[in-house]
Amino acid sequence: MLVVNNLHAGYGMSEVLMGTSLTVKKGTLVTLIGPNGAGKTTTMRTISGGLKPSKGEIILDGKPVQGLEPSKIAYLGLAHSPEGRKVFGPLSVEDNLLLGAYTRLPRFFGFRTKAAPDLDKVYALFPRLRERRKQASGTLSGGEQQMLAIGRALMANPKLVLLDEPSMGLAPVIVDEVFDIIWELKKSGITLLLVEQSAKRALEVADYAYVMERGRIAVEGVPAELEKNEKVVAAYLGS
Amino acid sequence: MDQAVIIQMVVSGALMGLVYALVAYGFQLTFATSKSINFGQGELVMVSAFFSLTLTDLGLPYYLMIPGGLLFGVIAGLFVERAGVRLALEQKSEGWILMTIIIGLFGFSAAENIWGRDDRPFPTPIPSEPIQLFGISITWLEVSVAVGVFMIMAIIELFKRKTLLGKAFEAVSADRDAAELMGISATRTIMLSYGLSGLVAALAGILISPITTVGPTMASVLVLKAFSVAVVAGLESGFGVVLVGLFLGSLESLTSYYVGSGWREAPGLVLLILSLAIRPTGIFGKAVIRKV
Ligand SMILES: Nc1ncnc2c1ncn2[C@@H]1O[C@H](COP(=O)(O)OP(=O)(O)OP(=O)(O)O)[C@@H](O)[C@H]1O
Ligand SMILES: [Mg+2]
Repeated sequence: MLVVNNLHAGYGMSEVLMGTSLTVKKGTLVTLIGPNGAGKTTTMRTISGGLKPSKGEIILDGKPVQGLEPSKIAYLGLAHSPEGRKVFGPLSVEDNLLLGAYTRLPRFFGFRTKAAPDLDKVYALFPRLRERRKQASGTLSGGEQQMLAIGRALMANPKLVLLDEPSMGLAPVIVDEVFDIIWELKKSGITLLLVEQSAKRALEVADYAYVMERGRIAVEGVPAELEKNEKVVAAYLGS
Repeated sequence: MDQAVIIQMVVSGALMGLVYALVAYGFQLTFATSKSINFGQGELVMVSAFFSLTLTDLGLPYYLMIPGGLLFGVIAGLFVERAGVRLALEQKSEGWILMTIIIGLFGFSAAENIWGRDDRPFPTPIPSEPIQLFGISITWLEVSVAVGVFMIMAIIELFKRKTLLGKAFEAVSADRDAAELMGISATRTIMLSYGLSGLVAALAGILISPITTVGPTMASVLVLKAFSVAVVAGLESGFGVVLVGLFLGSLESLTSYYVGSGWREAPGLVLLILSLAIRPTGIFGKAVIRKV
């Protein structure tokens, strides 16, 4: 579904990604972990088009997408729930969700009817969003905003979802909820690339994992293998 | 002092103020999507008004001239975006400030050359004889200004709230990068906002010209007031610009009545300075107009 090959990208003069390569197979959940500042968010932003790579290729569902505008890449089936959630604060919860399906909906009239089945699915996954659907999303709690950001990404019916640190800044109970959702998404067969600080839980749910350090993939493998790797255990999984 | 006269002054001033509000609303539309405004907005109003006058001179009936004039405004707005704003925004520079001023100056001298320096009357079929309404006399022409301003603002606000494209417009204002991730092209949304801004500018010209006449100098007068209104009200609230516009308009006409017509421009400037000194985000606003 996604192949990233020898990706170089950065901000201005400073190169952050120095030859990152990774693959996400269809129907799998892949996680990307690593220390702060390793370049995980930068990787995701480059995949979804927010940053232009200086070198390397990104193949989404067989099509090269490196260098395209984010809005174009969204039409090719990528949904990115960014770090820090980035909900449209002044807009209602439901409007946020509707905009998640922007690529598939009519622009003027009838978009509500057309989006209704998908809205129902997302509301079934996040009952709290249904209760608050008229509320301005900026007034939601952090956990609710995270649910909204995930729901908004799902509304696109995407081929691939990028989730960047969905547990960031949330209370432990809420983190549990978020991971419950991730497990459900995994069961539903969605293809997902997950960036997480809590490496342990990410490895529990993932089919395959990459460990990133200073802009490169340092270690990769199935979680069971990584859990045996002493360096990974020492650095990320504690003891 | 005769109370009826005061009310009379307030009402006709307030109607004028609605036009300032409309031009200020044009600033808000582009500021929302791009954090930029067209400093040549006054010239856009003026050139659109002259163009509409030419359509009338060519024999086009009033109600066909309006869509023609509005279309011209949209195209002019799109031109400003393409020629003066887009590159600067892409490079995250403030170059749009200078560029839009220059395009405005260009529009000004073009207008002087094409249509001349004199103020010209703007014919309209809407009668200008006063009618009595609750004891004050008001003309249909003035009523048409109010109707036009409220109608266009209501239509645009409805568009923003009720259509998906309008919500996308709001999404770009709220978080441009996140909107792009949804598949919303920020570039096109900014184009749309400049087109709409040109449309309201043209409408402002068409509405006000029958009352004030058309001339190259109308640009600077209007834009100064609209700027005051935008700064006082802030760049977010459409409701805010209407209120402040009404207030400034009435204040102006009272000032020119009591103090002398030479002082007509004073309230706008005083409000502008006071507002910048006391509350630069505007009464209804959150964002500061970047130190321009
Ligand atoms: N907008 C930016 N401008 C300049 N440098 C940036 C920017 N964003 C990130 N960086 C730099 O790029 C490097 C990688 O950052 P990135 O956000 O990709 O790390 P990360 O792995 O997601 O870290 P975290 O776990 O803290 O989210 C860091 O050194 C950071 O300082
Ligand atoms: Mg990050």
